[in-house]
Amino acid sequence: MLFRVDPASSVPLGDQIAACVRGALADGSAEPGERLPAARELADSLGVNVHTVLRGYQRLREEGLIELRRGRGAVIVPGVAAPDRARLVSRLREAAAEARELGLTEAEFLELARTSLG
Amino acid sequence: MNRATPRLRALAALPFVLALAVHLLLFARWRDELPAELATHFSARGEGDGWTGPTAYVLVSTALLLGLAAGWTALVRRRYLWAAWATAGFAGGLLVQLLRANRVDDTFGPVVFSPGMDLGIALVVAVVAGAAGWALGSLVPAEAEPSAPGEADPSVLPLAAGEAARWSKDTGSRALTVLSVLALAAAPVTLLVATWPGALLGLLGLVVGVPGLALARVRVTVDRHGLTVRSALVPRPRVRVPLDGVEGAGVREIDAMTDFGGWGYRVRAHRTGVVLRSGEALVVRRGSGREFAVTVPDARTAAALLNALVERHGKV
Repeated sequence: MLFRVDPASSVPLGDQIAACVRGALADGSAEPGERLPAARELADSLGVNVHTVLRGYQRLREEGLIELRRGRGAVIVPGVAAPDRARLVSRLREAAAEARELGLTEAEFLELARTSLG
Repeated sequence: MNRATPRLRALAALPFVLALAVHLLLFARWRDELPAELATHFSARGEGDGWTGPTAYVLVSTALLLGLAAGWTALVRRRYLWAAWATAGFAGGLLVQLLRANRVDDTFGPVVFSPGMDLGIALVVAVVAGAAGWALGSLVPAEAEPSAPGEADPSVLPLAAGEAARWSKDTGSRALTVLSVLALAAAPVTLLVATWPGALLGLLGLVVGVPGLALARVRVTVDRHGLTVRSALVPRPRVRVPLDGVEGAGVREIDAMTDFGGWGYRVRAHRTGVVLRSGEALVVRRGSGREFAVTVPDARTAAALLNALVERHGKV
């Protein structure tokens, strides 16, 4: 799996790490059930703080894409649905970013999302 | 990724079939002249000191030849065809000499198997068979040569100026995992079943199993430190090629037997490799024309990232 982070980008480093995992899952270069690198190892490779990596992993956990287990580290959730879920989350994040650019408030965006659910 | 053709495999199996046929024919022909128990093990002076019944003898010798045949048929390469024939010649020659020794000397007392004479004859048979195999090798079309080293430095992954990147992948050999687990399991079983000091042999299971398991699954990483290959279970042992030592990286199809003569951590004249299977491999050119290869899926991404990191490292 390829991780890349650009400190010059406006996107927080943790989010960039999360985006790498989502992308890898969506394009098949990471598989459901695969273990992510240990946070300390990844932090050392990328030259970032361990907490930055953990923030990224935490985000992925909130999105239901990985499981964090004591002693086993971070594992991508098993099951064939994981890549599709990763794509959905990516699109949602894109939509949220676009809404922010358009100047929508959080409430307006959520209202819009609720309306789309029909 | 096995390049042996069916014809080559047939030619590799043929000498063993011939040896088996000759051996069984002679056994049947000399059946009445053979003792009830055949001498199958000999002291240094050539006197029989180990004995086997005829049925067991036929079964064991046939299994031996078939086993060798299966091994050679599975792993044969064109330039080693002569060795298959030499092996068959030696094994067949030895078995026939064994029969002959039992037959001739039974009436005169202890069975004598002259190490010099009988092993010599078997060796002569081996040389003749090897020559025949070498000649037959020319009947088989040459195998495709492995593609030229580092032919394609596929690409350079575009990296922004301050961007950090890391690629890693776990790869393994299922066969090696199974064998190592079996070896490990054998250790406690031997300690329980066998009596002391024979049970010490069980420790062999640990000696084989522990490093086997450590190597059965490796993690290949490309990052700002260079290329690192280590066991997926423990951080050491590891092999690292620092960015300084990398001239370029590419992808190649590797055949474990042809290119490295086997599996595992392989050292050849100008190349070193961690070879867990045949197939896609990341190949790194180091200074002084040496190469380091590791078989891993998605090697293209790894090579592209390594090239990008090396390029940037050179500029600093």
